[in-house]
Amino acid sequence: MSTGVIHDIGYRRYEGARLGRRHAFTALVVHSLRGAFGLGRTARSKIVPFLLVIVMLLPAVVAIAVMALAQQRSIGYSNYVTLMQPVVMIFLAAQSPYLVAPDLRFRVLPLYLSRPVTVPDYVGAKVVAMIAAVLLLIATPITVTFVGELLVNMPGPPRTGEYLGALATSVIYAVLLAALSLAIASFTPRRGLGVASVIAFYLLASGVSTVLAGVFASLTDRATAGWMLLINPFFLVDAVQVWLFGSEPAAPFPYPGGAGGPVALLGVLGWVALGLLALAARYRKAASA
Amino acid sequence: MRSSTILATEGLSRRFPRVTALDRLTVTVGPGVTGLVGANGAGKSTLIKILLGLLEPSAGTAQVLGMDIATQAPEIRRAVGYMPEHDCLPPDVSATEFVVHMAQMSGLPRTAARERAADTLRHVGLHEERYRSIGGYSTGMKQRVKLAQALVHDPRLVFLDEPTNGLDPQGRDEMLALIRRIGAEFGISVLVTSHLLGELERVCDHVIVVDGGRLLRSSSISEFTEATQTVTVEVEEGETVLAARLRELGESVVPHGRLLAVQVRGDETYDAVRDAVCDLDLSLIRLEQGRRRIEDVFRDSAAEPRRADDDMATTGRGPA
Repeated sequence: MSTGVIHDIGYRRYEGARLGRRHAFTALVVHSLRGAFGLGRTARSKIVPFLLVIVMLLPAVVAIAVMALAQQRSIGYSNYVTLMQPVVMIFLAAQSPYLVAPDLRFRVLPLYLSRPVTVPDYVGAKVVAMIAAVLLLIATPITVTFVGELLVNMPGPPRTGEYLGALATSVIYAVLLAALSLAIASFTPRRGLGVASVIAFYLLASGVSTVLAGVFASLTDRATAGWMLLINPFFLVDAVQVWLFGSEPAAPFPYPGGAGGPVALLGVLGWVALGLLALAARYRKAASA
Repeated sequence: MRSSTILATEGLSRRFPRVTALDRLTVTVGPGVTGLVGANGAGKSTLIKILLGLLEPSAGTAQVLGMDIATQAPEIRRAVGYMPEHDCLPPDVSATEFVVHMAQMSGLPRTAARERAADTLRHVGLHEERYRSIGGYSTGMKQRVKLAQALVHDPRLVFLDEPTNGLDPQGRDEMLALIRRIGAEFGISVLVTSHLLGELERVCDHVIVVDGGRLLRSSSISEFTEATQTVTVEVEEGETVLAARLRELGESVVPHGRLLAVQVRGDETYDAVRDAVCDLDLSLIRLEQGRRRIEDVFRDSAAEPRRADDDMATTGRGPA
């Protein structure tokens, strides 16, 4: 065929492989995960996620520099996420609506559901993609810092235990934050409104938590103040981390002792269940529309 | 009797709280291009959604490609394609990316999905523009992308819901030609809906007419256009009187404006027309062999209850 002539070969049947639902699920996870970082989308939609990734990495870079130059450990692994919670919140608000809103707004959903993809497949793939996106955002800087610590060869043993605890906690953060953010975002097909709803939820939760904890602390009721901290999803997960891995609490007041740890874990599970149930209800309705 | 059955419904019903969208529909569809005709709200889209397993029927059963909709919906969805009536395209991706993604959702591996997407977009007539964002497309181009995503996984049957909606006359012609090619050249069976009867006549092998969720008629195009021979009669004036006289003589007459379509029972029909015109002393302008169009069938069924009271309405393209 070196003549360079284009032949119209007519319609060809597809005789190749037809893979199952698992393939479609994986493809949808990858597609959504790439989309969460603006990959495969316009150049403009890459700006925000990449800016946030860079901002998340800045403390890690600073920490490595301090370790290399001053031989001092500055930022811990266990409190990295709570320290950076505004950045994480912006990422959740900016990117979670992208995963769910366009398919609802532009009515792409029926095209998925007229294929072997089911509603649970679709919702599951979106949740898995968002969990992976949040995990990449928060686990990358923690891991970069740890690799830095190993390379710099600090005096004393490396903080491997704290790092591994923080990594496990990152998974809990990712699951909780992804389920909540997607559930909130899925309730409006408009992306702008979704962004506002998600950010409002986290600001409200952390604001209410800070105010109430402050009030009870000033009344010298530090036990109640500790419970109030758990209204903030970030401190809720941190309380679980303190309980499970014995890390230093990141909050201004100590978390409630005794039943506090198990209750925080139950709280995390409750939020995740609520988020998933809300998503299931939302999509059951959307699918029959 | 058709050699093979593509889909069959049996007493299929769907009741919504306030409206019955499908009412005991029993119909069989064979290979080729089948038109599903009915006014808006006649139950066409509801039928397609039930066949895809997106909506549960209130009663009745159906088989698509020999598979039961109640138990084999995933297998059905793997083997069919669906082009919805409504917009369903995200604006910020290119047609290529979108169709590749949809091919993967149908189970095609990534490389195969790329190849099939390029092929299919070429077949529906999207060329260089397929790399641009869909947001900037014309209605005609968007309809082509919607069609491409329905064909990309090489289904055995496609459901096309109002594919000519919103297109200008030229776009409509091109879409209809494409549908004809899908049925004839690609070898994919097509169920295409429209509320415009005339356009389906040009591409369908078989037409099903539904109204208010009920089956009005299901027959092949040849039956529609040949079995029901008519003769068109045009007189200078007095067509009302002529129609009345012909009916007295036992002929069935359908007024089409100033023309009368008279159903041919045999040679006696021609004699009846001749005699009636002579008796009434009318000036005959035209006496012509007419082939009934499928519109007439629909008009008949719609006008039937009113025929007694001398209804000369000619606008009845079907119940609203």
